[in-house]
Amino acid sequence: MHSNRLGWILLAPTLVILFFFGVLPFVYVVFVSFHSWNPFAANPEMIFNGADNFRKIVFDAEFLNSVGVTVTFVFFAVVSELIVGYFLAQAFMKEFPGKAIFRTIHTLPLIMAPIIVGSVWKLMMTPSIGIIPHYLNEWFGLSVNIGTSSFAAFATIVVMDIWHWTPLVTLTLIAALVSLPQDPFEQAQIDGANKRQIFFHITVPMIAPAVVATVFIRLMDALRTVDEVWMLTGGGPGSATRFVGVHIFREVFPKTNYGYGSTISVIVLYLTIVACWLLYVTMLAPRNTKKD
Amino acid sequence: MTQHETPLASAQHEDEAPKTQPPKVGFLPIETNWFDRLFISVVIWVALSLFWFRFVEPVGLSIWISNIIALALAVVIIRKG
Repeated sequence: MHSNRLGWILLAPTLVILFFFGVLPFVYVVFVSFHSWNPFAANPEMIFNGADNFRKIVFDAEFLNSVGVTVTFVFFAVVSELIVGYFLAQAFMKEFPGKAIFRTIHTLPLIMAPIIVGSVWKLMMTPSIGIIPHYLNEWFGLSVNIGTSSFAAFATIVVMDIWHWTPLVTLTLIAALVSLPQDPFEQAQIDGANKRQIFFHITVPMIAPAVVATVFIRLMDALRTVDEVWMLTGGGPGSATRFVGVHIFREVFPKTNYGYGSTISVIVLYLTIVACWLLYVTMLAPRNTKKD
Repeated sequence: MTQHETPLASAQHEDEAPKTQPPKVGFLPIETNWFDRLFISVVIWVALSLFWFRFVEPVGLSIWISNIIALALAVVIIRKG
């Protein structure tokens, strides 16, 4: 009993902070999502409208399109970051000249604020002055303009996200790879296993928890990407890069439609939780073993 | 706590043998506790409600039917899942 009380006392500050900054805002957003509320309208009152916002959302073509764009973005970005991050982590496991400085430079994008990343990439992608369109045109004869080409805008955002967040994946995978015991690898080599077999039957299962944790973090982050995209394309051209985060921003700030914006937020949170849970169930959850 | 044990050592022993319920073996393919099954029920309830709003309610069937179905499913999942 004594240890339980001590545990609760030690946990109390965290729980209090979590309640005020996590639980309370969440409950408030859910509350607002059942209301029609535009605080800057002629009638700024919050009016309860039942599930009408949820009825509206399933027919909102812009929202459904933004979910499709976001899911496509998340898939390409997270999978690429995982693959590139794994190869970089493997590279950092070996010794090579200039490793320390390369590792430092490679980690630099992580410390940049997303809004700065968006601004820098916007400068680099502007057709008249940007370095990337200039060299793509000079070397490959490609004319790239993210203001007019949906594909170029989308691909640029994916590449920007990979550039920004791959170091995080690399760092977590380095931590996972460093902590692996060497015995299973040596035994597998003695038994004649080739590199492919060692990778799929030893490395992957042993780093799976770290991979899933990393994917969780990236998935949650990528699903709520706003600032980089807002700076780079503003959601355009058309609705090619209007991710759900951008859609919520447009709904809440320019239109000041707080009720409907909260509803979209709740649905995005729901989709994030379900995606993470499905990933957990697929990769890590202990299976039911029925004894007949 | 034995005579020579410190409170810290006693707490450590408590940690080593947590008094948790064993995972339930039900029809779900994964091991679950009651909170997992409640979570699964809520996830299904929300998904079913959104599906109902999009495809079934326009035909004329009330959302309350969906809620009753979700509640029945929740009872089954929590008790037998």
